[in-house]
This record gives sequence, structure tokens and C-alpha cells, in this order.
Amino acid sequence: MRNPYEVLGVAATASSAEIQSAYRKLAKKLHPDLNPGDKAAEDRFKEVAAAYDLLGDADKRKRFDAGEIDASGAEKPPQQHYYRDYAAGNHGNPYADASGYADFMDEDDPFAEMLRRSHHARANRRGQDLHYRLAVDFVDSITGATKRLTLPDGSTIDVTIPPGLVDGQTLRLKGKGAPGTGKGGPGDALIEVEVRPDRRFTREGDDITIEVPISLTEAVLGGEIRVPTATGEVSMRVPKGANTGTKLRLRGKGAPRRGGGHGDQFVRLRVMLPPEPDPELEAFVAGWKGKDYDPREGRTS
Amino acid sequence: MTMTKQEFLRSAGLKVQVLELWLEQRWLVPEEEAGEPRFREIDIARARLIRQLSEDFGANDAGIDVILHLMDQLHGVRRALAELREEARRGGG
Repeated sequence: MRNPYEVLGVAATASSAEIQSAYRKLAKKLHPDLNPGDKAAEDRFKEVAAAYDLLGDADKRKRFDAGEIDASGAEKPPQQHYYRDYAAGNHGNPYADASGYADFMDEDDPFAEMLRRSHHARANRRGQDLHYRLAVDFVDSITGATKRLTLPDGSTIDVTIPPGLVDGQTLRLKGKGAPGTGKGGPGDALIEVEVRPDRRFTREGDDITIEVPISLTEAVLGGEIRVPTATGEVSMRVPKGANTGTKLRLRGKGAPRRGGGHGDQFVRLRVMLPPEPDPELEAFVAGWKGKDYDPREGRTS
Repeated sequence: MTMTKQEFLRSAGLKVQVLELWLEQRWLVPEEEAGEPRFREIDIARARLIRQLSEDFGANDAGIDVILHLMDQLHGVRRALAELREEARRGGG
């Protein structure tokens, strides 16, 4: 660091009043807030402030003159944010005013037109869009629902989940964002919706698949069973001779299609034997003519 | 993230009488919410600047009034310039 007397431009014999006056004179010229566009001024201001920190304090000055501390040992002023850092911020400066160029806007030329336009745009700026996340149940994502979202400030908005919504879809609620200025109107709320998986259903496109267990009797003889869908239980006929892996179609019971109509729900059957061994069933199968059917016949492994 | 008057007084290290004076002079113009003033970060920085003007630079009230008014105009002009530059960039490709 340079000699602080040189920095302030005073003699080594200057009185404390002279030092203060020299500092004020320089600081007024160099203060970053009085030079918002001048980056170099900030560095020079820091140097001047550090010099004054040393010489403006009678005790520190005495120790500096005696060689006990050197100029670089002076305390650094803490890193501070200046007013200009906020005044030029992205959020707009509520104090800035247009009176410094209002006369230019009154002219009738392209430059004035540009000034007027940006002035108008600023006065009527649309509010910011606000982003939120919301999780909904699988069934609600298919049938549609209304969910209440509580915002950080405690207020709530009701979100209409459209039928057939897919995981990760973003809903736009017009006018539910941050308020605008002037005639700008508020921004929108953008809600990214996560669909919670359902252990029964899987969805692929507009089709939904569910696995349903059936008894041996239903598999062999066929019959009516009840099957859950996103819109409630329905009856379905199991054909005679149904098997594990048999896929049946419930037409129009899938997710709503974008262009109208619905996808299908596929029901994958799984044949389940009774949980406990059944002596009667064992006796029957032992005497059954078809007992030698081998589903692995012809397999290589 | 705004502050109440009490929070602002603490953050800015101001006495309430001084703040009242500054508000009266409209050196500080906080936002308002439900009839209560709400202070922003920029108000803290502005308060610090006003104190420097008065304590370090020896500006009196009339001087501070003039300085703040000119400074607000300067920032207005800088903003207009920045917006024109943006527009010129967009228009110029």
C-alpha cells in the first residue's frame, strides 16, 4: 500500500483537521455511490478509506509515525455492499426517477419514442411467474380433481387437476403469480404436478394395466369378477380357460385421450391356487386324464 | 423479504427519532402492507449512505436532500440507458 500521507495528499506534519478535510474532499469525489458507473473509483475509495482509518485515529497515527505499524497493517474496512449495488439490481430501484430525462421523452423523434416505450413498459410490467410443486394420487390424475395448494405466505390456491394429467406436467394458473405494476397485471402460477405411483395400476400412454388374481375355478369354468378401475369397480367376464398372463381389455376404461375419448384398461390375470393344500383337489388332479400336460415341452433349457 | 420497522431499526442501527425524520423528508420510502411500513435491503443500503453523507462527509440536511434527489435521477438515467442498450442489441441483431 502507498504511503497514507501521499494517498490523502497531505504533509506528514498535517493537523488532524487537515487530514479529515483532505479525506472528505477525496471521499466525496470517489465514493462508489456517488460514482455508480465508475469501477475504478471504488478501488481508489478503498485506498483513501484505509489511509484515513490509519491517520484519522490519533493513536494509530502516532504508532504509524513511530514505525510500529506499517501502512499495509492498517485494518481493512469490511467488505460492504454499496447502495449502488441495490440501486442497479434486477428487482428495480423504487427510488430511481425519470425526471432526469423527462424532457427527452417529450420530443417527437425515434429516440424519444424508445424512451417512452421502455418507460411505459416499466410502469406497466407484468408480475413474475411463480413456480410450485404439487403431488397427486394416481387415481386423481386419471379422473381429475381439485387440490388446495398452501403457499409459503399461508395463502391458498385451488388447483384443478385435469383428467388424464401425466407425471411432471405443468399447470398454468393465469394471474396467480406475483403482482405486476401499473396496468401490467399479475404473473401466472406454474405448478409442476408429480403423480404418486399406485401399487395396483401402471400407465403407459393412455392405457392402464392392472393385475388381477383369479381362482382355479374361475380360470377353468370362467365367471364374472369385479375389477378396480380409476373410476371405480366394474364387472368383467372371465372366459372359460383363462390363464395366468391372459390379458383382457376393458374398452374405454383407460386415461382420457387428448383429442377426446379414453384409452383402455388391460387386465392381466393371475391364477391362484388356494393358500392351503387341499386333499380333495389333490385326489381329483391325481385321477385327472389331462394331468400329463407339460407347459415346458419343447423348451431348450 | 421485507422487514418491519423494528427489524429495520436494528439492522440499520438507527434511532427511531432519526428514522421518523428521514421518513418525513421522504429520504426513505418503504413499501406498505396492511398500513404498516415494510423495509427492503435497498433501504438498509440507502440508510447507510445517508449516514455516511452526514457523518463522514459533513453534508447537512439540505445537502443530503439535494444529493439524494440527483442520485435518484442519475439511477433513473442509468436505467433508461441500460434499457436502450438492450433494445439496441435486440434490434441490431
